[in-house]
Amino acid sequence: MLSRCLPFMLLATLGCTVALASPPPEAWNAPYPEKTAALAAKGDPARGASAFEICQGCHRAGALGRPDGSYPRLAGQHATVLIKQLADVRSGRRSNEKMLPFADHQALTVQDIADIAAYLQALPVPPTQGQGPGTDLVQGRQLFERDCGVCHGQRGEGKGEQFFPRVSGQHYRYLLREGRLIRDGQRRNVHPEMAAAIARYTDEELDAVSDHMARLPVGGR
Amino acid sequence: MLVAACLLCPATLSAADAGEIARTVCAACHGLDGNSPDPAHPKIAGMDQEYLMRQLKAFADGKRRDETMSGVIVSLDPAVFAGLAAYYGPQKPKPGQVKDPQLAAKGRAVYEDGNTDTGVPACAGCHQSDGKGNARFPRLAGQHQAYTLKQLADYKSGRRATDPLMTTVGKRLSTDEAKALAEYIAGL
Repeated sequence: MLSRCLPFMLLATLGCTVALASPPPEAWNAPYPEKTAALAAKGDPARGASAFEICQGCHRAGALGRPDGSYPRLAGQHATVLIKQLADVRSGRRSNEKMLPFADHQALTVQDIADIAAYLQALPVPPTQGQGPGTDLVQGRQLFERDCGVCHGQRGEGKGEQFFPRVSGQHYRYLLREGRLIRDGQRRNVHPEMAAAIARYTDEELDAVSDHMARLPVGGR
Repeated sequence: MLVAACLLCPATLSAADAGEIARTVCAACHGLDGNSPDPAHPKIAGMDQEYLMRQLKAFADGKRRDETMSGVIVSLDPAVFAGLAAYYGPQKPKPGQVKDPQLAAKGRAVYEDGNTDTGVPACAGCHQSDGKGNARFPRLAGQHQAYTLKQLADYKSGRRATDPLMTTVGKRLSTDEAKALAEYIAGL
């Protein structure tokens, strides 16, 4: 705990004394050299298009992902979010065995990460994402507006500067899968408020809110 | 014969020399035009020159091993590698032949979609739908089935360690998927 806080103490003397009492809220997105370097690097979308070739065998051309949720849509996601998640996967902060060999240091440089993120952020998001059964949309909307919109935006557009992902345009099955992992404590790199917000959700509630998110209009950014 | 060919190698090599080596050494297996007649040896016609160079260096460094090629490579001066790549790269590739269309259809599914359960990416993601590859990823189209199969097996076993991503892919592919892919790729 203390060692995780030390960088903060050096940077912001006030923040850490508060954080020591409970898990530091910054821990979910604590800086580490590689992520910091990737965030600071200037991404080049043209180079990113080329670097993304090793990703598109799974995430598909145009980074549209798969409606079955096996691979998320990345098109239109905030570059900051993409960099954090990619860096977290390859540093072991987020578990993803399928992806790891394609994201590790043999596969990608730090500059590649910045380039890929710049490329993906600018990609168009067609309204072709997979949707749920549509049986509980009223409840899904109520939950989203009560618990989710404050961070992810009421249109699901996310907040790049705060590393909150865009959820509009995402496949329902992927949202549901990750929602379950977060609720069940298996996404280790998640904001504590995110985990707390859905900690008591039933499977049905997760389903309803995922279906609502997957139906949000994709135009919103 | 190979040793004899090398005894003739001069210390410095021109493009003409590379052509001569291609014709007298490489062509025995790969064919004069790079369209190997023997399924055990790859067609290299039309492959990206940088890719060919990388493979020659990998054989020379021992990162890639092959009963025939590893023996031949030691007889070649590395100075000739670029000339050999320049000789074979621009050659016109000849199409392969699908022998089992049903198997090829299964291969197409893996080639275009991968396997989401086992994390096999679609081959098309890197090698392109038409299998022609690009500067970064090699051409596969029209390759001999036996050769493609052997490479996938060699990646799986670690015998070929030229690309960590392909090592991962080789390990994730089932034997049936590899056979189907080899059949489909032959027809590209």
